[in-house]
Amino acid sequence: GRFPVRRTLQYLSQGDVVFKSSVKVMTVNYNTAGELSEGARKFVFFNIPQIQYKNPWVQIMLFRNMTPSPFLRFYLDNGEQVLVDVEDKTNKEITEHVKKILGKSKETLEKEERERKKLSHPATFGPKKYHLRECMCEIEGQVPCPAFVPLPKEMRGKYKAAMKNEA
Amino acid sequence: MSVPRGAVHAKWIVGKVIGTKMQKTAKVRVTRLVLDPYLLKFFNKRKTYFAHDPLQQCVVGDIVLLKALPERRSKHVKHELAEIVFKVGNVIDPITGKPCAGTRFLENLSDSENLTEADTTYLSEKLQELKVCQTDK
Repeated sequence: GRFPVRRTLQYLSQGDVVFKSSVKVMTVNYNTAGELSEGARKFVFFNIPQIQYKNPWVQIMLFRNMTPSPFLRFYLDNGEQVLVDVEDKTNKEITEHVKKILGKSKETLEKEERERKKLSHPATFGPKKYHLRECMCEIEGQVPCPAFVPLPKEMRGKYKAAMKNEA
Repeated sequence: MSVPRGAVHAKWIVGKVIGTKMQKTAKVRVTRLVLDPYLLKFFNKRKTYFAHDPLQQCVVGDIVLLKALPERRSKHVKHELAEIVFKVGNVIDPITGKPCAGTRFLENLSDSENLTEADTTYLSEKLQELKVCQTDK
């Protein structure tokens, strides 16, 4: 496509608009022609994938050429509707505005990150899904894995057992 | 209470009405953007919901806001109509409050400023013809 960057995971995870849990639906009305709607078009093209990636449970609907003026509409859990006029704004301004009104602040995001980190202990070993490392041999400075480098004689169970039998 | 409202995951939903052939029920199609894991592109995934519409005021093609009911009304109906967002053929621009169609406001069309003199004379002639026909009958 035109800007294949939009389809990389790195770009998607760079989106910083995380909605509060009360936002359920986001509706974007914009026009495919006209300068007023230019910012809205850029917003839909570049920023909506980022937002949807960060908020997979928010329903996003796009409507084209229904009304002469472009706008965003958010439907919250308590029945409230937030109308955001987007006419004559650049796409960065729109994201900043949306982040300010309905996005989680940096402190809450950091708090959540810390909570998530607390759940998993980084010093344990096990399957990749739950732990960082699988075996002590992966760490530099520790005894390397005997699959790649044979252990010295003194550490091998065969030798130790032979010594014991002798003595 | 663990489930105060909505026995369903989706509490509020916006969709397009597909069918109104059932009594007091509207069939609504809802599209969500779902990321394809390989292409990393978002595609619309459709799902149909049934919504309770007591006054049968929905027409096929309306954009509608549904609210989850506290408990299921019937086997398939778990939502009710909260609000008609855009009525088909009668879209009202929420910012200005005026009716519009596509990218034009409908109000301006009724103004006589856009009509030239030839138009007005033509129209008035036609009107007179109609009046004559009516009196004949």
